[in-house]
Amino acid sequence: MKVLVAMSGGVDSSVAAGLLMEDGHEVVGATLKLWGGASDSGCCSVADVDDARRVAQMLGIDHHIFNYTEEFERHVVAPFVAGHAAGRTPNPCIECNRHIKFALLFERAKRLGFDAVATGHHAQVVSRDDTHLLARGADDQKDQSYVLGYLTEAELSLLLLPIGAMTKDEVRGHAERLGLRTWNKPDSQDVCFIEASKGREVFLRQRLTVTPATIVDRSTGDVLGTVDAAQLVTVGQRRGVVPGRDGEKRYVAKVDLAASRVEVGRLDEVMVSALALDASSITFSHQRLEGGTEVFAQWSAHGRPQRATLQSSPSWSLTLGAPARPVAPGQTVVFYRVDEPAIVQGAAIVASA
Amino acid sequence: MASSKSVDKKGPAVGSDAVRPRYYFDHAASAPRRDEVAEAMAPWQHGVVGNPSGSHRAAREARRAIEEARDEVASFVGVQPGGVIFTGGGTESCDLAIVGVTNHHRRHHESSSIVVSRVEHHAVLDAARMMARDFASVRLRYVEVDSDGVVDLESLHEALTPDTAIVSVMTANNETGVRQPLDAVSSITNAAIPGGTVLHTDAVAAAPWLHLPTVTATMDMISICAHKIGGPVSSGALILRNPVELDAVVPGGGQERGLRGGTVDAAAAVGLAAAVRATRQELTEVCDRVIDFQNKLCSALVFLPGVEITALGASRLPGTVHVTFKDLASDELLFLLDQEGVFASAAASCSSGAAEPSHVLAAMGVDPERARGSLRVSMGAETTEAEVDALIAILSSVVYRLRAEA
Repeated sequence: MKVLVAMSGGVDSSVAAGLLMEDGHEVVGATLKLWGGASDSGCCSVADVDDARRVAQMLGIDHHIFNYTEEFERHVVAPFVAGHAAGRTPNPCIECNRHIKFALLFERAKRLGFDAVATGHHAQVVSRDDTHLLARGADDQKDQSYVLGYLTEAELSLLLLPIGAMTKDEVRGHAERLGLRTWNKPDSQDVCFIEASKGREVFLRQRLTVTPATIVDRSTGDVLGTVDAAQLVTVGQRRGVVPGRDGEKRYVAKVDLAASRVEVGRLDEVMVSALALDASSITFSHQRLEGGTEVFAQWSAHGRPQRATLQSSPSWSLTLGAPARPVAPGQTVVFYRVDEPAIVQGAAIVASA
Repeated sequence: MASSKSVDKKGPAVGSDAVRPRYYFDHAASAPRRDEVAEAMAPWQHGVVGNPSGSHRAAREARRAIEEARDEVASFVGVQPGGVIFTGGGTESCDLAIVGVTNHHRRHHESSSIVVSRVEHHAVLDAARMMARDFASVRLRYVEVDSDGVVDLESLHEALTPDTAIVSVMTANNETGVRQPLDAVSSITNAAIPGGTVLHTDAVAAAPWLHLPTVTATMDMISICAHKIGGPVSSGALILRNPVELDAVVPGGGQERGLRGGTVDAAAAVGLAAAVRATRQELTEVCDRVIDFQNKLCSALVFLPGVEITALGASRLPGTVHVTFKDLASDELLFLLDQEGVFASAAASCSSGAAEPSHVLAAMGVDPERARGSLRVSMGAETTEAEVDALIAILSSVVYRLRAEA
């Protein structure tokens, strides 16, 4: 097969390319240039492009750089900023996968005559009865099925995930065996367009108008203080929140930008038993799920799946099997099968409660 | 891509380069190295090569080779040999002109202005921006261009102030091949500023095609480089037609009249000289031939769907054809052309190698969506009619294929 491998310069996608070559495929590497601004981490720095190019040279495959800077700004960065301005906390990596890697890159790969696109994600494509299902990666610690939760048959049928069945140690072992210089490169953890040394706050403050808000204790009505930038407060966070009058820790339960008010409470007060879902965002991987379906739900990249029940009326929501820390609107929740917890069934964005 | 021959290949080869024909249409990025250049450089690349600043025989031999090279380069541009400063390439030449002249000026004046066209190469733009950023007394003024990318002489006139340290307008643009009216730039500048100012022209892109003694006759400083005319990379010269006061950018050692420190590379100087000699000898003949190719190419490409030939009505270099395709992406065009063995360019690229939005097209007012479908094909002395025919056939099929898939 003729395969286009999305190479970030990291060890996972490098090994993915190497293994596909060993399997006898005709492999071409592509690195996406996504972010035009300053970056010290993630997958779009010049150093990462250099790593990807050098790995491709060592493997003896052609390597191309595709510039998606404008599209990235339009589909990922601008909505990320707009989301915060509206009191939501979107996941930019998921949006990038959705709108850039698995939309624009897939379309381009088809136009350029490729049979498949491969990435170095820790997740697996399982084919069953002429359909393709997305499953968790074999390395539970590194699983990335969450960030691919929106993929459906159209993308999954063209997608190869060569390292999804391996542990990270096995991947590094292959990298060393293949003589790839990225074999011991640290994993990138950060959002690629935000400088790790400066952080999300600095980035957002440059791009949006922040307004102050009063911090109010949800149960007592006590005013505990103020924040200068309500748009940068995330539901569920504890960091930076002052304790209550009783001296106990407080967590953010709700950010009300219109009222310039941040509601906080003790953990037992803020726990939620249901998540509202944005109906227009709900995507089913294969089969449409009806209200009442039991699922495993995961709502953060490194979270654990929890038992939950999907509800379709009066509006789409998720009833949680056990109370959980509040989840910020804009975050993505991915559904997995109850009878086969590795298989992804769909995804949706958490709406404001 | 061109360096794939040096890559250690492992695993199954994907279409060996040996069987894949190559059609090189990226002369404007780097021209094929001429045989006579390699031959001229060979004696200076192995064994004892004396330091030309020394006093013994080996040093004198190296010095003589460099001075002969200097004579050759001087006559290529039509200046006295003393005006040639050997540098490490076109970018360094432009940097020395902009930074060197501005630094000297600002040490003697309260304020200094740098005037450059919007379509200059980044060698000039980035040097000028750096000076304006680093020194409060330095201001940068841009000269606008028209929709063909030709400098607007009204805008030039408005940009000129009595404190102008240097005016830099390129001889011809590296992306589009569009020529600039240097004589008019000179007369307007001299009329506007009593006593005149320093006029620099980046002639890197123009050097393969134009008779520089005539075309740059009114310019005080001219930058050229070797690898656009079949010489080695990292070799160029800043050429002073008239006495100009400037500071060194790389001080140390006093070489090149104190304007560029460091041991002069005899091989690089000899390579540049061999390249200018060959270019000068065949200039008329190559131009006549390539103008025919340019016409043939434009006549064929104009029938492709969604195409627009950039600055068709302007005076352009013979070797460059720049086009934009509506609704197509440069990345995809270049990918498929590369697969078919056609090596071309989007003309603007960044340090990572990705195609970048072009500041030249933006200055010309080209719609950004259209600019995304840019393609530059550039030809040279080695280009054959058979290659041009192959390019027309392959480019047409690639464009129709992408249109069908879209």
